Amino acid sequence: MALAVPLGLLALWELLARLAVVSPRYFPPPSRVSTALVDGFTEGDLGGETLVTLTRLALAFALAAVPAVPLGLLMGMVRPVREAVEPYIAVLFPVPKIALLPFLMILLGVGEPAFVLTGAISAFFQITISTLAGVQTMDPRLLDVGRNYGAQGARLFTRVILPAALPAIFTGLRLGLGLALVAIVAVEFIAAKSGLGHLVYRHWQTLSTPQMYGAFALVGALGLLLTRGLRALQARMLVWQEDPGRL
Amino acid sequence: MSRRPGWLAQHWLAVASPVALLIGWEVASAVGLLREAFFPRPSTVLIHLRRLVTDGTLLAHALPTLSRIGGAFALAAILGVATGLAMGLWRRLREGLDPVFAVIYPIPSVLFLPLVSFLVPRGETALIVTTAATSFFLVAFTTTEGVRQIDPLVVEAARHYGARGRRLFTAVLLPGALPFILTGLRLGLGYALIVVVAVEIVSASRGLGALLWLSWQVLKVEDMYATFLVIAALGAVLSYGLAVLRARLLPWAQDVAER
Repeated sequence: MALAVPLGLLALWELLARLAVVSPRYFPPPSRVSTALVDGFTEGDLGGETLVTLTRLALAFALAAVPAVPLGLLMGMVRPVREAVEPYIAVLFPVPKIALLPFLMILLGVGEPAFVLTGAISAFFQITISTLAGVQTMDPRLLDVGRNYGAQGARLFTRVILPAALPAIFTGLRLGLGLALVAIVAVEFIAAKSGLGHLVYRHWQTLSTPQMYGAFALVGALGLLLTRGLRALQARMLVWQEDPGRL
Repeated sequence: MSRRPGWLAQHWLAVASPVALLIGWEVASAVGLLREAFFPRPSTVLIHLRRLVTDGTLLAHALPTLSRIGGAFALAAILGVATGLAMGLWRRLREGLDPVFAVIYPIPSVLFLPLVSFLVPRGETALIVTTAATSFFLVAFTTTEGVRQIDPLVVEAARHYGARGRRLFTAVLLPGALPFILTGLRLGLGYALIVVVAVEIVSASRGLGALLWLSWQVLKVEDMYATFLVIAALGAVLSYGLAVLRARLLPWAQDVAER
């Protein structure tokens, strides 16, 4: 059943496009899309463009995670830091991060730093918030027990606080990676001249629809692989936590 | 944020830090430490915001954005709740649609624009349908979860007391799933704003996203900041306003996203 419905939909699409019930110009049959995908990898630059998107994603994710996790932990443990930083996060978190792109392009010029940073900012807020929540929602009894057994300072942090917050941190990283991918692809669609997002845009403009759907499917596969992969990794690494939830 | 005495004494940093930042920014731009071309003074931005409001520019761009968000949200809410309820109730439908949704959901909504523009007339309809896409999945997912997490004992008890069909649905299943549905709606509304701005940047001549982009293209930096301020305010109103509304409507249920 899990495979039957997607396969059935694809077969239906193939049939309708072949019989020209739907316009094959706008909705090319899946077989032509997959041919275009294979051609793109073997003869075209699809592999290269995928790599461009993945590189941007990796840089954005690293740029976000490295400051966000310590900041979230610090905010959770030091009240004045939390008080001082929280207003900015509360105001900026619900803002569409793509709206920051023009500002970054003015500051840094139209180029990689602005594109990558837009993705990084998208992930940064999510990771900070999740990490903070991880520290704030930890069972206070754990802290008491740790203290009673003489854990203090660095030891209390590495043995009690960090392990307790780790599931939330991991969830934040996973959600952050997904948000960074969304932002990077959107930036490519809007402003960049390379990457999978740009491919969708370019093939849309030239109406080379098989290639357009190919790039589109590739983005979907990438998103699925990253989110599902990380969730599986999370379940394996953090066996003591509850189900990480589906969103 | 209660106003009881002592709140300010307790949270003075939360007030002082933004105020200090704004004053520092103002001074730094005024004395030339920050380039005013890139970082206009907050007071200059406010003057430009006022001008945008009084000459009607802001309204002319905010109204299309609001109506698109409204249309997309209504579309996503109706279709999402219906799909989610159906998926929660019928296992076969859920198992069939799950893999389809799993592939489509992580795709950034703005990429749907080409596809949607083949399906429906270009222009307003395409913008609204594209904006609705991601919100629809969020609402459908959370609604499905909402139905599935209802305690089977409750359903069984209702059945024993003779509730079935429509009655079982309105008296047990819908209220049981409601906290999840409202969380999905809240997240979906937030997403509608995120997507509408991106979609307007790509293919609209009106709307807050378009205004931001046009201001960038002609390097009206002050207008960019002013527009950003409006978008940020809209984001705050949509996400925190709905959270407050939710707390009022469902005082017994914690927000699912905060668990």
